[in-house]
Amino acid sequence: MERIAALGRFTIFSARVGWRVLTPWWEVQETARHTWLIATRCLLPVTAVVFPFGMVMALQGLEIFEIFGAQRLLSSLVSVAVFRELSPVLASVLVAAQGGSAFAAELGAMRIKEELDATEIMAIDSLRTHVVPRVLATVIATPILNLIGSIAGIGGGFFTAVCLKGETAGVYWGNIWALTHSSDVFGGLFKTTVFGVLIGLIATYQGYYATGGAAGVGKAVNDTVVISVTAFVIANYFLTSALFGAIQ
Amino acid sequence: MNALAEFGRFGLFVATFARASATHPPPVRRSIEEAYRIGVLSLPILLIISAFVGTNLALQGYNAFAPLGGQRLVGMFVALAGVRELAPMMVASMVAAKAGTEMASQIAVMRIREQIDALEVMAINPHWFLITPRFIGILLVLPPLTVISIFTLTVSSYLVSTLQLGLNGAEFLAYFTDTTEPMDLVYCMIKAFFFGIIICLVSCFYGFNSKSGPNGVGEATNASVVVSAVSCALLNYLMSEILFSGRGL
Repeated sequence: MERIAALGRFTIFSARVGWRVLTPWWEVQETARHTWLIATRCLLPVTAVVFPFGMVMALQGLEIFEIFGAQRLLSSLVSVAVFRELSPVLASVLVAAQGGSAFAAELGAMRIKEELDATEIMAIDSLRTHVVPRVLATVIATPILNLIGSIAGIGGGFFTAVCLKGETAGVYWGNIWALTHSSDVFGGLFKTTVFGVLIGLIATYQGYYATGGAAGVGKAVNDTVVISVTAFVIANYFLTSALFGAIQ
Repeated sequence: MNALAEFGRFGLFVATFARASATHPPPVRRSIEEAYRIGVLSLPILLIISAFVGTNLALQGYNAFAPLGGQRLVGMFVALAGVRELAPMMVASMVAAKAGTEMASQIAVMRIREQIDALEVMAINPHWFLITPRFIGILLVLPPLTVISIFTLTVSSYLVSTLQLGLNGAEFLAYFTDTTEPMDLVYCMIKAFFFGIIICLVSCFYGFNSKSGPNGVGEATNASVVVSAVSCALLNYLMSEILFSGRGL
């Protein structure tokens, strides 16, 4: 029962935030500041996670392709996997873990210290000033980080294939676009935009309604990561089926 | 410079923890309680994530190999990418996100409420009292969680391959069992074991060194999940290279 009530509260919260996103005025400067903050904070974790995943992908891919003698297609496999799945999902996991949880912690601390109440008392809409910029920042930053992550993943594949396993560099770069289409890149960007909306709303919701002192803030941060990761992994299945589908 | 100093502090923390665990009797009962809690906390989310990663793996493998006429190889792809790499990594990131953050925030709250100082005043070693049970607990529970995750992932990718993509189920299983062997389960459990060490130590470290106030707890929780996910991803590559490379198929 409580979960259903929470889901309803979340829906109302999302609708209120959505209404404020669509109607003026917007906190442009605040949004830019949060976008910059989240992008710079997530940059290193995203590259540091996607790069080794590209390396692993190349390591295992080489084993499969050696059966066919088709090692030259390795970079195509790496780039399809990175653009469609690996980079969108991993970048979003790290945005949730680093950016989303930071937003939940900030808003939660504001709620506990009654700063949000103070904002409301001064007749300032706290959703407009504190929540909307953070949601927009997540939505803007996630696709950008996804692109950077894709480049890191392909670089990781290059590192394993060429520097460690002695494949030819020219063949690797030449075949990157053999199976990948621009629709894969845009599909990945679209997916990360949706994931960004989910992360932004869930993080700000958890922070905005945090209760119970310092422990409550910790719980809000914890729940943010877990719930948003679950939400977008489930969304990912349906988005992949819809966007990339099975080519019959 | 700052990161280097942090790394040094982490080393000291691990050394203190190791000495405390070695010189005190192991807390058997509390370790089992922690193991139970970590397992129960992480299991539902892990099942959901494993199932959906499995579905995507099948879709992805199908899309990657269909242009080459190799749709039949989805089973092999799931075995290589899913069983060897994704399942242990997923377990690590989910346990880091669920149990790790909880460890960090619990210990951080104890730190800012000065309960850790109170333990020291009562001549109870806080490293032994707080970290050792969590450490043993996570090590006990991570390998079985990995096996469960591998099973869920395989079943869901089998279902997607046969029901959504219309592949032959027997062929999927044949390629799957050709590519994996029982030893792979052991290797994955070894991976998970090392991930557990990292997650527990990193989370407890950030909890122990939390700054005061609700901000401090939030920051500690935040840092713990990011640092443990990044270090697990790096370690994963090294361990794949050591455990699986050169073994062929």
